[in-house]
Amino acid sequence: VTYDLVEPVVFAVLSIAIFAAGAAVVLVDRVTAAALFMALTFLAMAGMFVLLGAETVAAFQVLIYVGAITVLILYGVMFTPQAPRPYALFFQRQTPLAAVFVIFLAIPVLLAAFGFRSDRPVVRGGDLPPLGRSLFLEFAFPFEVASVLLVAAMIGAIVLVRREEDERR
Amino acid sequence: VISMVPLGAYIAVSAALFFIGLTGVLVRRNAVVILMCVELMLNAGNLALIAFSRRYGAPDERGSVFVMFVLVIAAAEVAVGLAIVLALYRNRPTVDVDEVRAMHG
Repeated sequence: VTYDLVEPVVFAVLSIAIFAAGAAVVLVDRVTAAALFMALTFLAMAGMFVLLGAETVAAFQVLIYVGAITVLILYGVMFTPQAPRPYALFFQRQTPLAAVFVIFLAIPVLLAAFGFRSDRPVVRGGDLPPLGRSLFLEFAFPFEVASVLLVAAMIGAIVLVRREEDERR
Repeated sequence: VISMVPLGAYIAVSAALFFIGLTGVLVRRNAVVILMCVELMLNAGNLALIAFSRRYGAPDERGSVFVMFVLVIAAAEVAVGLAIVLALYRNRPTVDVDEVRAMHG
């Protein structure tokens, strides 16, 4: 077995995991299972980032997507219990229209993506020093704006779900 | 080092996952599942950014920088989105987007 086969095989396994888990998020009935399939998709995507040689982004992917966002969504599922419902009420009313729309949009984009001819990506590790340099020197101001946005979103979320005791008299 | 996997394969996976997410957003009724599918779409965009950055990018890793900003936006989006869903659920115990008609005008 040569080493040349390892990367395509890992890529194939990761793509199958991404497709299967992504389709399961859309199709599976139980919301908790959908959230865990979403976490699996994110984990396979982190594997893709490692395959592309972007280890730092893969680490942040695991920390933020697989960790924080999945836990947040699981809390959202926990706080909104739903009675089991018939499968006929599973999809929205405009599903046929939406399916036609998605198919018409997807066909040209997927054809372009599959027909994309280019050189093979150059895989190299060690993306942390250049990433840190451009994030904190060239993109320092957008970085600060992003942090302000995050704080504003968190405060907004707290305000939205706060029980207002003084209004309830 | 030359990779054995062409760049087009990564772009194809990214596009396919994006359309899986778009289908979920347009088709599902549960608001929490719709949020999950939005996260899938954002993540598909991240894969395309990283793939192009690795192949064409300047040595300053701009694609990864944009992915960092997408991560921040995704975290903010899911926090505010879940807060809105919880606020809705407190008024009427449903997360079904077909049943929420308070803003129909």
